[in-house]
Amino acid sequence: MPDVIVRVSSAEQISRIMRFANLEKIPVTPRGAATGLSGGCLTVNGGISLVMVDMNRIIGINPVDLLAEVEAGVITIDVDKAASKYGLFYPPDPGSLKTSTIGGNIAENAGGLRGLKYGVTKDYVNALEVVLPTGEIINTGTKTVKSVVGYNLVDLMVGSEGTLGIVTKAVLGLLPAPPARASILATFADMLDAAKTVRDIVAAGVITATLEFVDNVTINAIEDYLKVGLDRSIGAMLLIEVDGQQGAVDIEAAVVTGVCNDNGALSCKQATSDEERNKLWAARRAALSSLARIKPSTILEDATVPRSRIVELIEAVKSIAKKYDIMIGTFGHAGDGNLHPTILTDLRDSVEEAKVEKVIEEIFIETIKLDGTLSGEHGIGITKAKYLKLEISEDAYQLMKRIKKAFDPNNILNPGKMFLT
Amino acid sequence: MGEEKILLKDKDFAGAEDIANAKDMPGSKETSAGAKGIAAGAKGIAGMDGSKTNVVISGTGVLAKTVRVSKKGDELYSCSRCGTCLSICPVYKNTLDEGVSPRGKLSLIEAAANKTLPLTDKLSQKIYTCTMCNYCTKECPSGVKISELFRAVRQDLVDSSKYPEILDMLKDKIKTAYNITFDTNQGRLDWLKQIPGITLSDYVKDTAEVVYFVGCVSSFSPRSFSIPRAITEIFKRADVDFTLLGEDEWCCGFPLLSSGMTDAVTSLALHNIGMVIKKGAKLLITSCPSCFHTWAHEYTELTGVKPDFEIMHVSQYLLRLIQEGKIKLNDISVNKAGIKVTYHDPCDLGRNSGIFEEPRQVIKSIPGIDFIELDTNRLQANCCGGGGNIESLNPALSSKIADAKTDEIFATKAEIVVSACQQCERTMNTALKRKKGEIDYKVKVLDIAELVLQSMNAEG
Repeated sequence: MPDVIVRVSSAEQISRIMRFANLEKIPVTPRGAATGLSGGCLTVNGGISLVMVDMNRIIGINPVDLLAEVEAGVITIDVDKAASKYGLFYPPDPGSLKTSTIGGNIAENAGGLRGLKYGVTKDYVNALEVVLPTGEIINTGTKTVKSVVGYNLVDLMVGSEGTLGIVTKAVLGLLPAPPARASILATFADMLDAAKTVRDIVAAGVITATLEFVDNVTINAIEDYLKVGLDRSIGAMLLIEVDGQQGAVDIEAAVVTGVCNDNGALSCKQATSDEERNKLWAARRAALSSLARIKPSTILEDATVPRSRIVELIEAVKSIAKKYDIMIGTFGHAGDGNLHPTILTDLRDSVEEAKVEKVIEEIFIETIKLDGTLSGEHGIGITKAKYLKLEISEDAYQLMKRIKKAFDPNNILNPGKMFLT
Repeated sequence: MGEEKILLKDKDFAGAEDIANAKDMPGSKETSAGAKGIAAGAKGIAGMDGSKTNVVISGTGVLAKTVRVSKKGDELYSCSRCGTCLSICPVYKNTLDEGVSPRGKLSLIEAAANKTLPLTDKLSQKIYTCTMCNYCTKECPSGVKISELFRAVRQDLVDSSKYPEILDMLKDKIKTAYNITFDTNQGRLDWLKQIPGITLSDYVKDTAEVVYFVGCVSSFSPRSFSIPRAITEIFKRADVDFTLLGEDEWCCGFPLLSSGMTDAVTSLALHNIGMVIKKGAKLLITSCPSCFHTWAHEYTELTGVKPDFEIMHVSQYLLRLIQEGKIKLNDISVNKAGIKVTYHDPCDLGRNSGIFEEPRQVIKSIPGIDFIELDTNRLQANCCGGGGNIESLNPALSSKIADAKTDEIFATKAEIVVSACQQCERTMNTALKRKKGEIDYKVKVLDIAELVLQSMNAEG
C-alpha cells in the first residue's frame, strides 16, 4: 500500500519527485491504468504511487512518417482512434486496450491478438522521453526508420516494468490500416486437430492477423453464459482473421479454409458481413468473462511456447489439470504460441490456494522444457518473480541486477518487482 | 440475523487515501493536490499476496446488507480489478479518480467490510459519487452485481448515519409531503390547472382503463410541465380512457431507493398500488423512466403485492397507439428536407429496463425525420450526468458528464435530440445552453411525447 499517491502532470514534476525520493530513500512506483496482470504497478514497500493518468495528451500524428507522439497516460485505444483519422492504425491491441495506458503498455511490453502478424508493443516504440530513477530527463530513440547510435536504450526501457525509468512521452509507429479482411471460424472434434491446423496455416505461408484458439472447457463456459448455440462436444475452435489488400485476403482466406478442411474441421465458416464477423467474435470475446463467472478467483496464465510446440503445451496443461483435479480453461493467441491457461478456483480456500501454486509451477516447468517463456505479454512483476531463474541463468540474472543498479543506485524505482533478491 | 463469517483479503490499497492526504509533498503544488485516487491493485493473482484475514461481520453491523447481497463476500471478492469499468464509468472518466471508479469503490467497500479502513464521511462521499447508470454492471467481465452492491452499501451507510445530509432533507420532504419538492402534494396538478378552460373532472376520474402516473419532476418542475401536457393531450385526442391520480399520487420512492433508504419506500409503494387498483385500471403508464423502473422492478419485491394491471412506459404506449392507428402523424420536415433527429437512451429506461426499440420505432414512424444514432447507444449509452442524485451532490461533476454527452450530440449534427426522461432532458438542455457557442445551429431537446404531439399538430 502506498503512503502517498501523487497525480503528476509533467516530466519536470516527476524529475523533482525522483530527486527528492533519492535524497529520502522513498520507493516510487509508477502507475498507469492499473490493468496489468503481474502486479507491476503495486507498491510493495509503501512509498509513492506515481499516478500518470493525467498526462493524457496526444501531441500529434504524422501521417507521412507514420508516427504518433503521445504522453504516457494516453489510453491505448485513443492512439488507434487518433490514427484512424488518417487511415492509419496502431497495431498492438492488448485485451485491456480500452483502459490501459501507453506508458503501462511500454513498461510491460504489452502484446495482444495481432502479435503473429504485427508484433507487440516493442515493435512500435521509436523514441521515448524518460525520467531516470535519479531524476534526469532523457530523450532516447529517433523518429527515423533506421538508427544505430549508441546502445538501444529504447528497447531496454520497453518491458523493463517500470524499474529502470518512468516513460513520460513516446513516439509510436503506425501502419496504414488494411483495407480488407476476412474472418473464419473453424470447429474441430479433437483439440489436437485444431492445434495442427495452427501449425499448418503458418507452414502454408499465410501469416494471419489473428489465430485464436478456444478449448472445450472454455466453449462450455461460453455456452453456459451466452447460450449462443455452440456445440458443447467440440474439442476446440479457431478464430482466424487475415487482412490486407482484397486480392491477397481472398487468396489467404481460401488457403486457410483449405488447411482447416484438410485437418478435419467439423465446420468452417467465413463471415460475409460486419454483423456476421461480430457474431463469430462474440464467443471469443466472451471467453474470459465466461470463465471468470464460474469461480470467485480467476488466474490468467501467460505461458508461451514456440508455435511448433503448442500441441505439447496444451496436452501438458490438460494433464496438470487432471492431476490436481482443478478446472483450467485454455484459450488465447495460438498463432504466436501465447496461450492463456486460465485457472478457476477460490483462493480464499487455503487448500485450493496451495494447489494453485503447484499447478502454476508445473505449467512453468513444462513451458520451459518446451523452449518456451514464463510470460508472453504480462511480465514478471510480483507474480512470477520467484520463477525468474527457471528461465534465466544466474549470470544473466546478475547482469540484469547490475543494469538495474546502474540506472537506480538506491533501488527506489519500483522495488520488489522482477527480482526477489 | 446471526453472524456471518467471511474471508476477505487485505491486500488492496485501502486507507491509502487517508494516508495520502495526511502529508503534503514538497516541491510542486499539484503533487499533493488530487492525491485522492485509491489505488486498486491487480487482484486475484495467485502468489501475489498470501495474507488473508478472517473477518467477522455482525448481522446488524456496518456493511451487513452489503454482505447479504454478496453472499458471504463472493460478490465483492469476484471483482478482479481488471479495470474494464474504468473505460466506461462516466464518473471515473471525468475525474480520473480511482477512488470513485467502480473497482475503486469495491476496493473501499471491501476494506471497510474488512475494517482496515474506517467508515468515514469521505469514504461515504466516494460511494455516493455515482450516477447509478449501471453501465459498469452490464459490462463487468466477472459479472459482479456492482450496482446492487452500491445500493446495499448505501443502505448500510444510512444505517450507520454516514450519508450526505441533503438526503435527510429529501427523505423528510417525501415523508411529509409525498413528493420531492418543497410544495405540498396539493400542487400535483398545477401543470394542468394552469391550462385555460380545463375541466379537472375530465382528467381525474373515479375509474378509468388507464392511470397515467405523472411523477414528481413533471408534476412540480415548470420546465417539465410540457411533458404531461403533451401526453394528456395525445391521450385525449386518441380517446384513451385515462385518469390522473392528482394528490393521491405519491412519490414512487425511487430517490429513496437509490439513496439507500429502502425502508421508507414500502408505504409509498403500497399507497400507490392501492390508488391504481381503486381506479380499476388495467394499465399503468409512467413518463419518468425511474418511476417506471421502480413500478416494474421494485414494487413487487418491496411489498409482496403483484398488481394485476399492466405497467408501461409512455414510449411503449405511444407506439401501441400509433400501430393501432389512433394517432395520426404528419410530416414534420421543413421544405421537404428531413430533420436530423437523434435519441438518447435514459439509463433507467434502456439499460435498466431493456426498452430500446419502442422509442426508436416511435421516432422513425414520424414522417420527415432523418434518424441518426448517437455514438453510444442502447446498452452502451453514456449517462447524461443527471442520475443518482449526483446533480445535487456534485453539480460540477454532473455538468462535466453532461458536457461529454453534448459533444456526442454535436457529432451527429442533429437538430433535435429526443429522449424519454424529464431528468435527462433537463440535464442535456442545461448543458446545450452552456455550450451553444460551439455550434452555428440550434439543437432542441424534446421528450418523445412532445415530438409525437408536434407531428400530430404539423400540417398534414
